[in-house]
Amino acid sequence: MSLALDGLLAISLVVLALQVVTGASLFRSIVMFVVFGLVMALVWARLRAPNLALAEAAIGAGVSGALLMLGYRRLRAAGPEATRPGPRSSRLAAPLSLLVAGLVASLGWTALGLPEALGAAGAAVVAAMPSQAVANPVTAVLLVFRGYDTLLELAVLLVALAGARAVEGPAGPADLAIPTMTGLPIVGALLAALVPLSVLVAGYLLHAGGNAPGGAFQGGAVLAAAGVLLVLTGRLVPHPVPGPVERWGAVLGLLVFSALGLVMLARGQGMLSMPGAWSIYLVESAMLVSIATTLVLLLGAAPGLRRGPLP
Amino acid sequence: MNFIQVAATILLVLGGFFYFAGTVGLLRFPDVHSRLHALTKADNLGLGLVCLAMALLGGSWRGAAMLLVIWLLGLLAASVSCHLVAQAALEPAAEPPTPRGDP
Repeated sequence: MSLALDGLLAISLVVLALQVVTGASLFRSIVMFVVFGLVMALVWARLRAPNLALAEAAIGAGVSGALLMLGYRRLRAAGPEATRPGPRSSRLAAPLSLLVAGLVASLGWTALGLPEALGAAGAAVVAAMPSQAVANPVTAVLLVFRGYDTLLELAVLLVALAGARAVEGPAGPADLAIPTMTGLPIVGALLAALVPLSVLVAGYLLHAGGNAPGGAFQGGAVLAAAGVLLVLTGRLVPHPVPGPVERWGAVLGLLVFSALGLVMLARGQGMLSMPGAWSIYLVESAMLVSIATTLVLLLGAAPGLRRGPLP
Repeated sequence: MNFIQVAATILLVLGGFFYFAGTVGLLRFPDVHSRLHALTKADNLGLGLVCLAMALLGGSWRGAAMLLVIWLLGLLAASVSCHLVAQAALEPAAEPPTPRGDP
């Protein structure tokens, strides 16, 4: 039974991936990409990687899907030519992809045959877990064992935001036309239910990250989803000047994380070492705010956001 | 198989039937509004029956409460998006949505 399920998932992934790259229209490809992300999340869950499944569903399917949809809406506004898919692939495409598939298959086959590496990091982490302040090994790896990597990931997010600003130039892309339907009372009711709920779920994911799947990245993506909803329905509108909330929100994670790291260095302990569970939750909360702010600003394609004309 | 398992199996089969019928309706019905009609049946009843079956099988009040929240969220999202799609299809200026996506 489970073998049949796994086989079905594997076949769906390949078929969906083919649909994404060979779709007759851009819109269809985007929808297929979102479905691909959801099936991928199921695959991660089947592989017993719930953290990855959550991140894939929230970021891979949700946020990337919204980003692609927004891009599609802007392209459509530019005219019918802009949304036409590019020219068909060349004659070399099929032999090249077969070659790559063969390469991947032989690499995978070789990797399966290799003996398990001695002193692999996974075993060391599991052995060191009882002495840690948090029970979730993934959170421990992200903040305790490899805190430096996570700090740099936050820096990468900030650089991505700055890069998007630089590419867009001062004017930025044209404003999105907000459909008049977003003024309907039913949309207001949906937002009134969903926005507080996503704040709650983001907080829950952050808290659960201590001893179960979850954490700042998943929580930040859920919080960003609420922000994206507000942008899409015209409750928040892009603004050329970032306000204090956007400025501080974007750098808060980096600021808190590096400040804590420096304080620990000054106190004679290792840089970025975590003095306890409270510090892990503090850094994660700041990271959550930064991740959500960065994602919403990237999706809004604007340096700042203000309250919109809609109630 | 005890009573709960039998009841859950029946609920799962029923839920699966609603999903199947909804999908067939979505593919076969002629216009937007009848397609929405078919789709919301799958979303509302199918999801509700599957959630109920899983709550029975899960055997904990906490899990059952979470499944109830999931069902309610599904209902909320389905009804609002159904309303908006129906509204968009009624507006004369709007382009008719084509099943292939791009006009």
